This record gives sequence, C-alpha cells and structure tokens, in this order.
Amino acid sequence: MLTINNLHAGYGKVEVLHGISLEVPKGKVVTLIGSNGAGKTTTMRAICGMIKPKSGDVSLNGKNVSGLDSHRIARAGLAHSPEGRRVFSTMSVRDNLTLGAFPRFTGARPKGNIKADLERALELFPRLKERQLQLAGTLSGGEQQMLAMARALMMNPDVILLDEPSMGLAPILVEEVFRIILRLKGDGVTMLLVEQFAAAALNVADYGYVMENGRISVHGAPEKLKNDPAVYEAYLGGANKH
Amino acid sequence: MDIFLQLTFSGIALGMIYAVIAFGYQLTFATSGTLNFGQGEALMLGALVGLSLAGGVMGGPYLNYWLMIPLVMLFGALQGVVVERIGVRPSIKTKNEFGWIMSTIALAIIFKNVAENIWGKDDLTFPSPVPAAPFQIFGANVQIMQVIVVLGALAMMLAVEMFNRKSIYGKAVVATANDSDAAGLMGINTGQVVTFSYALSSATAAFAGVLVAPLTLTGATMGTALGLKAFAVAIIGGLTSGVGAIVGGLILGIAETLTGYYISTGYKEVPGLLLLLLVLAIKPSGLFGKTTIKKV
Repeated sequence: MLTINNLHAGYGKVEVLHGISLEVPKGKVVTLIGSNGAGKTTTMRAICGMIKPKSGDVSLNGKNVSGLDSHRIARAGLAHSPEGRRVFSTMSVRDNLTLGAFPRFTGARPKGNIKADLERALELFPRLKERQLQLAGTLSGGEQQMLAMARALMMNPDVILLDEPSMGLAPILVEEVFRIILRLKGDGVTMLLVEQFAAAALNVADYGYVMENGRISVHGAPEKLKNDPAVYEAYLGGANKH
Repeated sequence: MDIFLQLTFSGIALGMIYAVIAFGYQLTFATSGTLNFGQGEALMLGALVGLSLAGGVMGGPYLNYWLMIPLVMLFGALQGVVVERIGVRPSIKTKNEFGWIMSTIALAIIFKNVAENIWGKDDLTFPSPVPAAPFQIFGANVQIMQVIVVLGALAMMLAVEMFNRKSIYGKAVVATANDSDAAGLMGINTGQVVTFSYALSSATAAFAGVLVAPLTLTGATMGTALGLKAFAVAIIGGLTSGVGAIVGGLILGIAETLTGYYISTGYKEVPGLLLLLLVLAIKPSGLFGKTTIKKV
C-alpha cells in the first residue's frame, strides 16, 4: 500500500532523515515511535509532500509519488491528519469535513456517497456532531484533534497518516482517540500512526518502527518491540518519561 | 442641507468604488499574503476596454453597456492571471517576501504606458448607459448611475461571498486563506487558488472601472489615484474584512466629497489619509481587521 524506501529529507541544507525505509501494508496499522526530535514529523511531511524529499522513493499503491505536490499525493489516496491539527479555524466543523472530501467533489477521487460518509464521521465522533455548526477555531484541542482525524477520513483515502493524535490532550481524551483508532482499524482502515505515547501506539499497532536521530533503529511486531530491552528502556520503561 | 445630502450621496457612490477595489486587494491577500499594487491599473484597463466595446473610440459601439460588462470582467480576469504568473508566482516560489511588491508596481507602470499608447494620454468621455438627468431624494440630486454603482458594487461583493460560502470551490478558497499547507493536504491545488484569486481580484477592479467611468472621465491615468486610495481603504477597514472595506470606503468617499466642498478641493484627500495614519497608529490591523500574530 504505502512503501517508503531509503528516504532522505530535511530543511534547507540540514538533512534530518538519513534513509528511512518502512512499509504500511493494506488494512494494517503501523506505528512510528521515537523521542522528540527523532524525525517522525519530518518523515510524515516528506511522505505527504509538505516538504520535498532529497532522495528516496515514496510509493502509494505501487505508484511513485515522491516529489509531487501535496495536493497530488492527496488525490493519489493519502490523507494526513497533521501535527498541530491544522483545522480551518474560520470555517464550521461541517465545512471542514466537507473539505476533507474535496477530491471527491472534483472527480479526482471516486465520489461515493459523501453525505453518508459525513454522517458516519459525525457518528464516529459524537462531540463533533454536537458542534457541527460551530467554527473549528472555537473547539477545544481534543475536539480539533478529532476534527483533523474525521477530516482525513472524509477523503476515503487508501492510507491515513496520523501525526501525534494524542499530543496535548487530557488523558481521558487520549483514551478516546485511541479507542477511535482501534475502531477504524476494525473497519480495515490503513494507518501510519506517529506517536510519542509509545506504549499506547504499540497496543493498537500491527507493526512498529522505532526512530532515532533520523534513522530507523529497530522494527518489528509490537510484542517484540515491547520486549526489546533498549526500546523498553528508552520509550516504555523509565516510566513517566512521556 | 440639500447640498450636504447630495455630497453625501456622491461620497457613497465614490466610497463604494473604493470598497470594491479594496475588496480586490483583500481577495489576493487572503489566499497568498500578497497584493496587486496594480489594482488601479486593472480598473483603468477595464474601463478603457469597456469604452472601446461600448463607446465610439475604436469604431464602435459594438455592444451595449450591459453586455459589455461580462466581457470586460473576463478581460480583467485574464489580466489578473498575467499579473499573478509574471509578477507574483516567482516571488512566492522563491519565498521572496518583497519581490511581488516591486513586480506588481512594475507591471502597473507597464500597463499604464501600454494604455497611453493605445488610447492616448487624454481623458475620454464614457457614454452613460442611463439618462444623466438626476432625480431627487429629500431634495438632493442623485444620478441614476450613482445608484447603479452602489448596487453593482454590493452585488459583486455579495456574489463573491456567496460563492465562498456555498460552493465547494469557494470553500477551497477560504480553506487556502486559512491554512495553505493544510488545504494542500485536502487535495486542493493552492497555486491554482492563488491564480484564481488574482483573476477574481482584477475582474472585480475591471468591473469597478466600467461602473465608475460614466461618472468620471476615462483615461490611462484614472486608476493610479483610485488604486492608492482604495489601498488606504483596505488598510483602514482591515485587510481581512469585507465589511471593513465597505465601511472604510464610505468613510473615505464621504470625507472626500464633503471636504472638497466645504473646505477646498485641494484638501479633499487629507481627512481620509489622516484617518489612515490614525488607524495605523492605534489599530494597525484596521478597524475591522483581526489582529494576526506573526510567528517568528
């Protein structure tokens, strides 16, 4: 589904990613964990076209999309719930969701039933349903996070990138976000999940990659990573680190 | 009292022209953070192209005034695309924060020179599409064309607002204005949105040109002062507020006609510009503008 091969990227002359390779198979949830500054968000940005990779391949459904503009990558089937949520604050919750389906309106992606999908997204996130006519800028951080996720779903994408969905949320909302991720997983949605909350991410994922200083240091099934002493020490144990 | 009312009505008509041009500045500022400093020249070109189609300067008239308007707006849109492609896009691409200022001014001067060569340096009369004889409101003389200016300007702004709110493409424009990177993630081609906003902005100015032309004279130099004063309006009202453009336009327009009559035509622009300085000192985001915090 989504395959990244030897990806190098950075900002200006500074290279942040020194050759990342990972794979997100269809219908699976793959997580990318690592400490702050390891390059997780940069990886996401390089995949979705917000920054142009210096070298390496990003392929989506077998089609090489690396170096394309972000709107082209989106139309190819990749949705991104970005770090910092980035909701359209002067627009209503409903309009935000409608825009998530933009390529379906223009015929760049199969149309399907947009209206039904909108209702389904609102059912999935009842808090958004209550606030569907409110401006997105007036939502709380947790609600904005849910909106960013729901908006990404509205594209009916082949893969969803979720960048730090738990960031800055109260513990109860973090639980809710992960419950929703599990539910989407049950529906067969393919996801690449970036998290600092390593333990929670490994609990929902089918496969995990650990990132360190712009490289993948270890990868494997969640159980294997949880039992890896180095991973445990750095990201899971040491308690209260995150 | 009659004369005061009459001046106020003239001020409203003039102010609505400023408002439409200011609205045009806002359109491109919203989507790209850039402005076309040749808005006045877009207006001038619109008026002169309109005159060539609906007047006798080029062997016409070929069309009546009302049928000419859509063609002039189409011309304006194409002219806006040229400005964006040549003057603005390169500077957005290279993330040059100020390149577009000089390039849009340069293009404005070029457009003015071209217009002088095609239509001459003298001002031309634009035939009025409606009877010039005024009618009376509360004893004040009002020209039908002035009413058309006000209604036309309002209709134009309302149409854009409806488009932005109701259609998916309009929503894409608003989304780009909100957060261009995030809009790209939705599959919106934000470069195209910026081009579109330039087209719409220049079409609006061209429309303002054919609205105001029957009330004034038409010529290569007509746009510069209008464009500049409308910029003042956009700053007074706030670069992010449509209501601000209207209120700012009316303030400047009415201040101008009143000062011109009661004090001296030589000072007619002073009160509005003093207000501009005042606004910049006290509320730099404009009367209706939202304060934006620039992240460094």
